[in-house]
Amino acid sequence: MPIVELIQVTKAYESKVAVSQLSLAIEAGQMFGLLGPNGAGKTSSIRMMIGITIPDSGEVRLFDRPFDRHALARVGYLPEERGLYKKMKVIDQMVFFGQLRGLTAEEARSRGIRWAEKLMIAESLEKKTEELSKGMQQKIQFICSLIHDPGLVIMDEPFSGLDPVNATLLEDTLLELKAQGRAILFSTHRMDQVEKLCDSICLVNKGEAVLSGRMREIKGRYERNRILMQFEGREDFLKSAEIAEAKNYSGHVEIKLKPHGDAQKLLHEAAQMATIYRFEMVEPSLEEIFIETVGGRADA
Amino acid sequence: MHNLLLIARREYLEQIRKRAFLISTILVPLFIGAILAFSAYSNKDLMNAGKHIAIATTDKSLASEIIAQLLNNKDERSEFDSIDGATEAQKAELTAKLKAKSIDGFVWVESQNDSVTKAMYESLSAGDIVIPEKVQGALNKVLVRRRMAQRNISPGEADALLKDVSVDVEQLNEQGQEVKSNFLATFFTGYLMAILLMMTTMQYGMNVARSVIQEKTSRIYEVVLSIAKPTEILAGKLVGAGAVGLTQIGIWGAAAVVIAGSSLATGMMNSNMHFSLSAKQIAFFTVYYLLGYLLNSSIFAGLSATCETEQELQMFVPLVTVPVALSFALIVAVINNPSGAFSVGISLFPLTAPIIMMFRMGSEMPPAWQFAASIALMLLSIWGALWVSSKLYRVGILMYGKRANLPEILRWIRYS
Repeated sequence: MPIVELIQVTKAYESKVAVSQLSLAIEAGQMFGLLGPNGAGKTSSIRMMIGITIPDSGEVRLFDRPFDRHALARVGYLPEERGLYKKMKVIDQMVFFGQLRGLTAEEARSRGIRWAEKLMIAESLEKKTEELSKGMQQKIQFICSLIHDPGLVIMDEPFSGLDPVNATLLEDTLLELKAQGRAILFSTHRMDQVEKLCDSICLVNKGEAVLSGRMREIKGRYERNRILMQFEGREDFLKSAEIAEAKNYSGHVEIKLKPHGDAQKLLHEAAQMATIYRFEMVEPSLEEIFIETVGGRADA
Repeated sequence: MHNLLLIARREYLEQIRKRAFLISTILVPLFIGAILAFSAYSNKDLMNAGKHIAIATTDKSLASEIIAQLLNNKDERSEFDSIDGATEAQKAELTAKLKAKSIDGFVWVESQNDSVTKAMYESLSAGDIVIPEKVQGALNKVLVRRRMAQRNISPGEADALLKDVSVDVEQLNEQGQEVKSNFLATFFTGYLMAILLMMTTMQYGMNVARSVIQEKTSRIYEVVLSIAKPTEILAGKLVGAGAVGLTQIGIWGAAAVVIAGSSLATGMMNSNMHFSLSAKQIAFFTVYYLLGYLLNSSIFAGLSATCETEQELQMFVPLVTVPVALSFALIVAVINNPSGAFSVGISLFPLTAPIIMMFRMGSEMPPAWQFAASIALMLLSIWGALWVSSKLYRVGILMYGKRANLPEILRWIRYS
């Protein structure tokens, strides 16, 4: 049963089509990455899932039912830019959003405190939001969107502004939520995080899905035509007819084979003139797939 | 409703905790108190300044009689020198004294055969209007008494004849009883409504607008909109900011009662000013004030959704005065014919209703159906303004980066 589903959704603004015939579905316990260059339609898609805008055509389904505002009580949303009241105290902020989500003030307060301890910002609870750093504010935002224990978590660029330590803290939290069976969707530019965290992705460009499916399956679609190699000795084999492109970083080489290039043949050639420490055939990274798929077609 | 109240409470608490609220709430009554105290003090000073005035008459006893008349007023603090049967030489002497500033002024009265031919007041200050006024009154009274005496009217009878009478204006109220005229109260309530509406819309209506813009720029609305409806958000903000306004007016009202009860105000109040406001009038005043405030601020909330910055919003501020200016432009027609078709029409029109109704109520109580109709129309137009505003809000905030022009705004209203 998909927790959130877009079916052939189209949304056009005055001058441009933001989302066109987009379909995607996220299951419970799934971490889903919505990728795409700037202006591709990621935020427009998210806004239709949370009822800020309504699609021109197509259907949005939440918790296996047609879209209904009441279902939003079970959705947690973290916007891309800061969505906090600057003058409000952190704990008051958490209580306010908790109450809007239907919690009692006491319940919201105790949950807020628990989350703050978990994310190591308990000492900031009594401070005004504007006094805190960007990373701290992002954590508070994170808590505000999770305080009501939502079944669906939607996060627009959740890791922006975070240092590596805090980014890892949030990643771990998202993985915990996933293990608890929640559906998580996040949009990002950071391919390494998507690769590490997501089970499924949808790559959008100019409002259309250009690539979607399970991560493994997508990667499987691409040839293993890249080789990482470490050697000592002559490097004449790098001029082999099998190689399309090679970058040699003094002994560490990244090789891209020609279509239907034979890796075994290359290994054989290399072994005759150099000592080989490492010869690994790797699948393309998501970043490479992204660049290859979107290529020069992106707006930004 | 739950969301609306939560949003209203948040708005209320945030604004009431601001330093600006505290400062204006405390400073305004202090300021008004200071102005009242100062003007009461300076008025007293002006009316009864202790001056040194010489009164000289060619008549043998007129000067003494004038001074006696002047001193009938127990509050008189000026000092008078009397020179009866004065000569030209004494007049020259007085002029010299005035130049030397040993007196503040002198009165010179020439008379022949008991009839005054010339009276003048000479002083160094052109703005001295109080003394000649007083002297003229006293001189005329003395002369009238003398003429009466010549016609064999006894001083006692003369006093009875000269007794001042002031005219009391009375009005028939709804129950057919005679009451003191409400004419002043009419203006008082009308003006009070106009000032309150303008001030509170300018301050609190604009606060709503400002907080809409603030949320727009910080993108909080995305989170809130994913939970609450735009109408709930806007109505919550209006109610919250409105409650802040009422809190402040309440505090000021309490301060006003304290000030009015103090001796300060008694010096200020002219005894001719009678306000007899009935409970009904006070109730209607409150209702119309609240409705007027809500209508104005819901219009401003909508306008603010089309703005990107507070500077742009500032351009709309003069619009606050439109309902007030419109009402005042139409007042003459209402005062002359409070129950005419035109008066009824503009008292039903939502933008002018609050102020015009106050004026009409003061002159002649309008029938109940007109109150009901105008309140219903106002409620309807508040709902309408809120509906349009929330459409503008929902679409306006998603179209950040540029300010909307009129055709775009019209498109936004159709669009959702």
